[in-house]
Amino acid sequence: MINKFSTILAATVLGLSLTAGVASAGAVDDAIKARKACMKANGGAMGVMVPMMQGAKPYDAAAVGTAVAAIEAACAGWDGWWAPETAKGEAEVTKAKAEIWSDAAGFKAASAAYSAALTGVKGAADEAAFKTAFGAFGGTCKSCHEAYRMPSE
Amino acid sequence: MLTIPRPLTLADIPAHTSNLENGQKLYNAGGCHSCHLPAKGSTIDKEIPAGGAPLHTPVGTLYPPNLTPDAETGLGQWTDVEFVNAMQKGIGRDGGHIIPAFPYTSYAHMTVEDVLDIKAYLATLPAIKNAVPAHEVFALPIVRRGLGAWKYLGLDETKTVTDKTQSDGWNRGKYLVDGAGHCNECHTPRTVFMTMNTSKYLAGGPHPEGEGKVPSLINLVGREKYKDAKDLASALQFGEMMGYSRLSSGGMGKVQTNMSKLPEADVLAIAEYLTSLK
Repeated sequence: MINKFSTILAATVLGLSLTAGVASAGAVDDAIKARKACMKANGGAMGVMVPMMQGAKPYDAAAVGTAVAAIEAACAGWDGWWAPETAKGEAEVTKAKAEIWSDAAGFKAASAAYSAALTGVKGAADEAAFKTAFGAFGGTCKSCHEAYRMPSE
Repeated sequence: MLTIPRPLTLADIPAHTSNLENGQKLYNAGGCHSCHLPAKGSTIDKEIPAGGAPLHTPVGTLYPPNLTPDAETGLGQWTDVEFVNAMQKGIGRDGGHIIPAFPYTSYAHMTVEDVLDIKAYLATLPAIKNAVPAHEVFALPIVRRGLGAWKYLGLDETKTVTDKTQSDGWNRGKYLVDGAGHCNECHTPRTVFMTMNTSKYLAGGPHPEGEGKVPSLINLVGREKYKDAKDLASALQFGEMMGYSRLSSGGMGKVQTNMSKLPEADVLAIAEYLTSLK
């Protein structure tokens, strides 16, 4: 009897924890998906702005504004996507390095520097200012990726 | 080709007038600073290769030495022979084998003259007194002995040969990639003996410090990683400053920073050679 009871109890507890596991795995994957969508928006905006930097396309303030707005829309909520459980997804693979959590203060500072640099690009008054601001912005991408992102093919 | 290295003697060192500009160029191509930098929090200028920052490797934690001309803790008293033996034979000043985290297996392909130019350039740096900690490697004396046998397999001392059917840029690129640039050390996977798997030359593999995967450098254009050689050169020169997002992770960010200091012709040469790999 006791055995049977404890078996049921164990099964229930196991069942509950599995359910909870699945739910949190979903939340984890959502956070990772959101991070990836944000990075993808950055890539898209780069595709617009880099040709202007290289002189392959004329400087277009309106296009820069649209590109920055796309990043802002996709990345709103960034700070909430880095709970420790999101270090590894069930369904979604992530290139996030452990340093994001072991050096949380550094990662937060890097995120803030990036946001400030993005605001700088948005606020650039003319082509020369844009080029300076974009250089600083690219620098924050580089330094953050160097410290916190794993390499991949 | 594959022999246990015999230390060089004075007679092996050619008469050479040093070229400091060339030495600096190769210092940057080799990225010497990336490993020989001072430890975090040290008061030494972080641009100076005074050594001491820990390098975490599969065999333990190493402390790359001080490359400044300080007589006591740096290279101040090193002779040309000693320097070339370390760089190209992996033999330390004490005659012992150097752990190949120091990429002498790549530097072995360089000309002795170029190696001497690096030494001459290092001698122009400010002499910084900085004694670095001893390597933290389990059973280090035994590991060092074992390295003698390892070199029999892992140290190929063949100099890079000029391929007359290829352009000057291609040949210069190959020389920089295989020698000073030591791209092989991460981009070519290793065998179970930790020697280069030459059949998978620059084909990518596991990251030496366990950070995911090192990308393959084969068929970069065909696989649409880069548009052409010029695009790759621009990526190596500017990295993420120009939106090239592949060149920051896994230590490549530091490599790209070093590359940005090279003359454009050398970066173009590297790109020409790499994009020719199929």
